Amino acid sequence: MVLVLALGDLHIPHRAPDLPEKFKSMLVPGKIQHIICTGNLCIKEVHDYLKTICPDLHITRGEYDEETRYPETKTLTIGQFKLGLCHGHQVIPWGDLDSLAMMQRQLDVDILVTGHTHQFTAYKHEGGVVINPGSGTGAYSSITYDVNPSFVLMDIDGLRVVVYVYELIDGEVKVDKIDFKKTTTTAH
Amino acid sequence: MISDGVEDEEKWLAAGIAGLQQNAFYMHRSLDSNNLKDALKYSAQMLSELRTSKLSPHKYYDLYMRAFDELRKLEIFFMEETKRGCSIIDLYELVQHAGNILPRLYLLCTVGSVYIKSKEAPAKDILKDLVEMCRGIQHPLRGLFLRSYLSQVSRDKLPDIGSEYEGDADTVNDAVEFVLQNFTEMNKLWVRMQHQGPARDKEKREKERSELRDLVGKNLHILSQVEGVDLDMYKDIVLPRVLEQVVNCKDEIAQFYLMECIIQVFPDEYHLQTLDVLLGACPQLQPSVDIKTVLSQLMERLSNYAASSAEVLPEFLQVEAFSKLSKAIGKVIEAQVDMPTVGVVTLYSALLTFTLHVHPDRLDYADLVLGACVKKLSGKGKIEDNKATKQIVALLSAPLEKYNDIVTTLKLSNYSHVMEYLDGETIKVMAMVIVQSITKNKTQISTADNVEALFELIRGLIKDLDGSLTDEVDEDDFKEEQSSVARLIQMLYNDDPDEMFKIICTVKKHILTGGIKRLPFTVPALVFSSLKLVRQLQGQEENPFGDETATTPKKIFQLLTQTIEILSSVPAPELAFRLYLQCAEAANDCDLEPVAYELFTQAYILYEEEISDSKAQVTALHLIIGTLQKMHVFGVENRDTLTHKATGYSAKLLKKPDQCRAVYACSHLFWLDDHDNMKDGERVMLCLKRALRIANAAQQMSNATRGSTGPVSLFIEILNKYLYFFEKGNPQITVATIQGLIELITTEMQSDTTTPDSSADAFFASTLRYIEFQKQKGGAVGEKYEPIKV
Amino acid sequence: MQGAGCARFGSSISLPTIMNYLLGAFKPSCTVSIAFSDGKTRKQVPLKKENGQTVLVPLFQSQENITGKITIDPLQGKKVDHNGVKIELLGQIEMYFDRGNYYDFTSLVRELDVPGEIYERKTYPFEFSTVEMPYETYNGVNVRLRYVLKVTISRGYAGSIVEYQDFVVRNYSPPPSINNGIKMEVGIEDCLHIEFEYNKSKYHLKDVIIGKIYFLLVRIKIKNMDLEIRRRESTGSGANTHVETETLAKYELMDGAPVRGESIPVRLFLSPYELTPTHRNINNKFSVKYYLNLVLVDEEDRRYFKQQEITIYRLQEAA
Repeated sequence: MVLVLALGDLHIPHRAPDLPEKFKSMLVPGKIQHIICTGNLCIKEVHDYLKTICPDLHITRGEYDEETRYPETKTLTIGQFKLGLCHGHQVIPWGDLDSLAMMQRQLDVDILVTGHTHQFTAYKHEGGVVINPGSGTGAYSSITYDVNPSFVLMDIDGLRVVVYVYELIDGEVKVDKIDFKKTTTTAH
Repeated sequence: MISDGVEDEEKWLAAGIAGLQQNAFYMHRSLDSNNLKDALKYSAQMLSELRTSKLSPHKYYDLYMRAFDELRKLEIFFMEETKRGCSIIDLYELVQHAGNILPRLYLLCTVGSVYIKSKEAPAKDILKDLVEMCRGIQHPLRGLFLRSYLSQVSRDKLPDIGSEYEGDADTVNDAVEFVLQNFTEMNKLWVRMQHQGPARDKEKREKERSELRDLVGKNLHILSQVEGVDLDMYKDIVLPRVLEQVVNCKDEIAQFYLMECIIQVFPDEYHLQTLDVLLGACPQLQPSVDIKTVLSQLMERLSNYAASSAEVLPEFLQVEAFSKLSKAIGKVIEAQVDMPTVGVVTLYSALLTFTLHVHPDRLDYADLVLGACVKKLSGKGKIEDNKATKQIVALLSAPLEKYNDIVTTLKLSNYSHVMEYLDGETIKVMAMVIVQSITKNKTQISTADNVEALFELIRGLIKDLDGSLTDEVDEDDFKEEQSSVARLIQMLYNDDPDEMFKIICTVKKHILTGGIKRLPFTVPALVFSSLKLVRQLQGQEENPFGDETATTPKKIFQLLTQTIEILSSVPAPELAFRLYLQCAEAANDCDLEPVAYELFTQAYILYEEEISDSKAQVTALHLIIGTLQKMHVFGVENRDTLTHKATGYSAKLLKKPDQCRAVYACSHLFWLDDHDNMKDGERVMLCLKRALRIANAAQQMSNATRGSTGPVSLFIEILNKYLYFFEKGNPQITVATIQGLIELITTEMQSDTTTPDSSADAFFASTLRYIEFQKQKGGAVGEKYEPIKV
Repeated sequence: MQGAGCARFGSSISLPTIMNYLLGAFKPSCTVSIAFSDGKTRKQVPLKKENGQTVLVPLFQSQENITGKITIDPLQGKKVDHNGVKIELLGQIEMYFDRGNYYDFTSLVRELDVPGEIYERKTYPFEFSTVEMPYETYNGVNVRLRYVLKVTISRGYAGSIVEYQDFVVRNYSPPPSINNGIKMEVGIEDCLHIEFEYNKSKYHLKDVIIGKIYFLLVRIKIKNMDLEIRRRESTGSGANTHVETETLAKYELMDGAPVRGESIPVRLFLSPYELTPTHRNINNKFSVKYYLNLVLVDEEDRRYFKQQEITIYRLQEAA
């Protein structure tokens, strides 16, 4: 059982002062094995903070990140799953599922995590999953109105992944769960 | 002679211990055989070891504690002797036959303790005799320990209220009298130490004295524990007597320590009820006494007391604590002309904390304190003493900590005046404290006036201050500061759009003074704050009869345009470019075509003139295409102009693969899912064909330069775009087109010159798998895909 | 040599008496014992004899009746020829430097028997009524005052048989009607000024000296302060006066250096010390006087002292 935290589009401090306290109190060090972050942190302070939660941190570059060395895309393998990571402003139309599916095929991954729209989504698609963890801070977005802060925890266990979505709605944390089972191993 | 040698001292101590233990051994033997005479003899010899002058207080204490333990055994023996019929009165005389005074008095105290217990004489008489007889030891160290012994053995035998030793003849007054007398004598001895020995040993002596101070202070502690010392007795007897000794001893160390001690050991409510007396003593102390620390501690105690329960607050009011403390501080500062600034500020800081706790509702008091502080600081220029500035930071932080609310603090008119005396560096530190307080407490600052005042306070972060040295500021520190300001801007909010707009204008005014280094941090925050307001307004119908002053998105966009323009000239063109696009989208949502167009134009200008890095261009172009793809506000003409430009930019990217990808991305500009009038299949196809040509060119170029083909990935990407539009029903994309491209790719991949590329293989395979998948879906989609052969 | 018993000459040997004695060849022909009529109940006190031994002897005071009986018990088969038996009560002053010289200031005699022979145990009662014994028994450095009963069995040629019995006389006084304290200021100019105060000038033997030492000026570094009791015994007169001073008590009063304004308490119990009453010009032969000596020692071991005479008397103890 491996816990993977996926989050992105924090936009600190341009659009939000910080992660919500309620999230911070949940994200304690030692519980999470990997963090995948789609980008737009935007400052080093946030990077350092994430490192304290879990040192195994994977970040792709958002268009507002001050750190320019983050890669545009990244793939990594966790257990039986191959994960792809990309901020998403490169995928046009933004947030378009079919276009994201193309990227998923291109990166040849089981799970594609992207951001940019600040809208939480999780789709099963062609035997894979496309996830957008939304904005961890609920930052303003020109694409999405009324953004709630959200992040995703993936519990990867064998061929099964359970995706938990944490969303802060009116001060309360709401959790949703999506189950995904991999039927065939992807030919790498 | 007292040697400085530590080694020698160790030897002396060892010798003392040996002598003590030997005599203790014989004493035990006498005790075991009930031989009183020998017991007295050996115990006196044992105690003679304490007559040494060779040990430092620390070592002497070691010896003393050993003797102390032995004396407990002797005391038990005396007790048993009296049970066996030996008269306690005789014993009391007998021990006084000892020729050496120090052993004699230790024995007398020991027997005295048994005597009191026997109740054959009033406790007060015995106590009085003991405390009087101890005068025979005038040697400070030996006297202090002897009297400490006396106080130790008598502690549980004081005729306190409720004690078994209380009686008609023995009252708590006697108990108090006894402790006071012992205290007085001990303090005298302690003070006397300072004046003995050569002047060059002063430092060592002061160290030794400080090691002994708790022996003296212990008496005050005992007094504080005497049940019968109620407020009246404390007020009438204890405090005046203790203070008399404190004042009269004229010793800096003793005065400071004892004042501290009084404040620490007696209950807060006593202090409150005797403030006059306690404060009255302060000006009588030696000028060198650190009175500010004493008063600070007092105020701290009282502050905590006030904070402990709301029920005690009326007491504070009743005794007018604030005005008394206030006056006392004024007097002390006046009296001590040479008091350094740090002292002055420390005092006011403590007083401020006090009034914040005791009179949280009286902002005027807090302001009064700050005002008094300003008065004292005036004419001294900027404070340069490091410690003093630290104290000022503490002073200014106090209201923030108390109210957790800058808004309340902003009401203190003298607050900003105090800040005027800070140097640039400290103003910055203080500004950070303020900002962090706001962030931590999530304080909402909701009026433009408050924002104005706040930004005035934190100007150290907002701009370079005149006169402040533009030293090498640590890059990380600077970033952190400016990030804090950006965060702060998020905290400024008012529901009312007009007020919010005022706030934004105020912030803008301030941050634009920040200079090139700060703007990249502050402007984005302001922009997004403004965009939130725009969004709030966009749902509302614009009132055609609305007055000129009403806040409208247009007005905000004007402000934004100006602001971003300044940012672009900083120069931070990439950031400005992004913000223009963000605003353009917002203008789109507000149906403000001209505004959106203007913003796009500005973004294009920046793209053309300022963004030259190829990688930056790629990202910028993605943002242009992505944004433009979302826009629906533009009429045909404007739209054509903008898309034309965008495809133009795409074809001009440096690297062929980037060109190719940008061009096929542009295909989406002609096909908007939700807008039927914006589905131009031909132009989509034109884009894709153009992309294919570029991909071919890239392939050939690669062939020419490297002798091998480039990645076939671009073809597969285009194939995916074909499939995308094929599914969307673009009539220009036919099965044949798709089939052709698949074959092309297959050929390419099988070509000898092609570099094996596993990721391309996988991409292609999954694309083909997708086609299969779609075929199997059945229905309309399946039917559509059916003819494609893979 | 007194009380060595009697000696008897053998018929054929003519050696000087003293030689016979030294050879131990002679045994007394009788034992003489002196018994007091209230010997069983009378208080006995220790008396240090000149050979260093301490014996218990009866205690009397002036104007008491001294009564008892003398028993003469001839040895088996011997008879005692005598020219008379008498008992004397002697009060003697003995000066050690004038050895052998006794001054009997009191001498009472009772004839017990007319000359004759004693064949068997014989008892004589005796009585001295209301004997005037103005002086107390005293054992000093150079002088001794003793009281003794002396029984003499007079014999012409063979030397008398003499037996002694010491007893002690102590005379009690009532508390003095006038007993002022001692208060005095002493000092060394600009150096040390103290005022001391003892509660009385006359103390009985078991008394307590209560007092205070006030430091009025202290410019020297005092290390400690003692109170001494000194006895001054003077014997003889004129050019032959011998003065002997002993320190009987050395009692530490203070440890450390006081400052101006300090007052140090004095409380000295006299009972542990072997004191006698003050004796003034006893029979023009000697005097014994007592002094309190206050001694201050500074850090350089210089001693500053002030001596004050006190009178010691024997207080009639409550019955």
